Amino acid sequence: MIAGSRRAARLRRVGFWALGWVGLGVALLAWQVAAAVDHSPLIPTFTSTLAALWHMLASSFVPSELVPSMIRLVIGFVVSAVIGVVVGLFTGYYRVVRDWTTAVFDFSRSLPTPLLIPVALVLFGLGGTMVVVVIASAAIWPVLINTSNATAALDPTLVDTARCLGLRGPFLLAKVILPAVSPKIFAGLRVAISVSLAVLVVAEILGGSSGIGYFISSAQQSFQITDSYAGVLVLCLLGWIADSVFLFVERRLLVWQRGIVGGGHG
Amino acid sequence: MVEPILEFRHVGVTLTGRDGSVNEVSSDVSFSLAPREFVSIVGPSGAGKTTLLRTAAGLRRPTVGEVLFKGEPLSDVQNGISVVFQEYNKSLFPWLSIFKNVAMGARRLSSAERAAHVRAALDAVALSGFESRYPWELSGGMQQRAALARALVSDPQVLMLDEPFASVDALTRGLLEDVVGDLWERSSFASLLVTHDVGEAVYLSDRVLVLSARPSRILADVSIDLPRPRSQGSTRQLKRFVELEAQVLDLVHRAGRTVAGESADA
Repeated sequence: MIAGSRRAARLRRVGFWALGWVGLGVALLAWQVAAAVDHSPLIPTFTSTLAALWHMLASSFVPSELVPSMIRLVIGFVVSAVIGVVVGLFTGYYRVVRDWTTAVFDFSRSLPTPLLIPVALVLFGLGGTMVVVVIASAAIWPVLINTSNATAALDPTLVDTARCLGLRGPFLLAKVILPAVSPKIFAGLRVAISVSLAVLVVAEILGGSSGIGYFISSAQQSFQITDSYAGVLVLCLLGWIADSVFLFVERRLLVWQRGIVGGGHG
Repeated sequence: MVEPILEFRHVGVTLTGRDGSVNEVSSDVSFSLAPREFVSIVGPSGAGKTTLLRTAAGLRRPTVGEVLFKGEPLSDVQNGISVVFQEYNKSLFPWLSIFKNVAMGARRLSSAERAAHVRAALDAVALSGFESRYPWELSGGMQQRAALARALVSDPQVLMLDEPFASVDALTRGLLEDVVGDLWERSSFASLLVTHDVGEAVYLSDRVLVLSARPSRILADVSIDLPRPRSQGSTRQLKRFVELEAQVLDLVHRAGRTVAGESADA
């Protein structure tokens, strides 16, 4: 489109971005003031939390809590993404598979995830494997359902075209169906990331022997409230970084999709 | 008589819905397409023109009767048959550049040959210089030319066109008709065009088949004895063109009237 309107759009984007940071600053200031006024040992100030965080980052917290959590998060998320996409493509593309699996999937995904933790504890014991399994089994649903629905709703013309070009079987799925539904897959993956993070913490609190969740709950139990708050801050940062990285990758991979959406409005 | 490249023998197509509803689209359709011949199928709305074309392309099997391609029963999509669909915006792959879209039609060639063929095909439809653009960056007429290039890059024996110009404006439509006409004159493929535009069918074809309303049969087989090469300016002015157009139009109207009031087809 026109360079001028593009620049205006960028300026507007920077404006929103700056406003977001100002909003965050105001919220943190409110925290600081409220904690300073209240003076309760149960609510540390933002600055003392930040100091605790700074201290933690130089301590054994990083190798023994943060790194294990991140590894679990990544493995759990990747496993759920891969299985979710593959199974979703098949259930979406083959009507029979969908008919057979819908009820099973509907039941399984309506299970509250914390319910899985006691079961996973029995099966896998305390520790990392259990956490990964619980993450994967919770985060798989948004990916699987999104992929499956998008595949089922694909325009028949697209599939006919691909078939006429001689694409079939795995080639058809990989070269045409997968890219065609990738915007919906990404939407599912983004939900899966935040689900993964939430489940990570709950699983670590209930049955971890290490990790951020475990750290937060044991700090709280030994009345190191400031450390506990610092752990929460780490989680916020982790979630924000994960989402930002994700959006960055999405924007690169789905350039073509923004073009279509833009073209549709123009 | 020459061996036909494509032959319909008493083809009937019945669609069965998931709810068990049965819809007889075609009852008994027989015709043949000789090598290098240009045949159009016209008929009232809902006569099942597109279903017949999908059957001819091997995308679906006839319920009764058989379709022969080069004398062999056609049971699946075939090398040598290319299809251009009406909805170029759904049949071009939006995540691929124009070059890569066209290259999808030439997957059987080695990569060195492929590049040369793709360039030649794009040149033939006057899209040289747009290789690296995405489909949504081009106008409707250009997109349909890209779809045409993709269909022809594999050097097919039969080119099937399903209402290929229905989604573009009248001026572009005339230009695209000439693109197809010229390509057909210069190459050796036979062409099967499905359209609701009688003038277009007469303008391009050697023969025009008129379908009855659903369940359809071939009502008439009209030979178009207009001189070639044809051009929008001169051919459409010919007395003979006007006569033929009126004759076919009358047949289509009569076919539509036979079921007036009892057909709810769009």
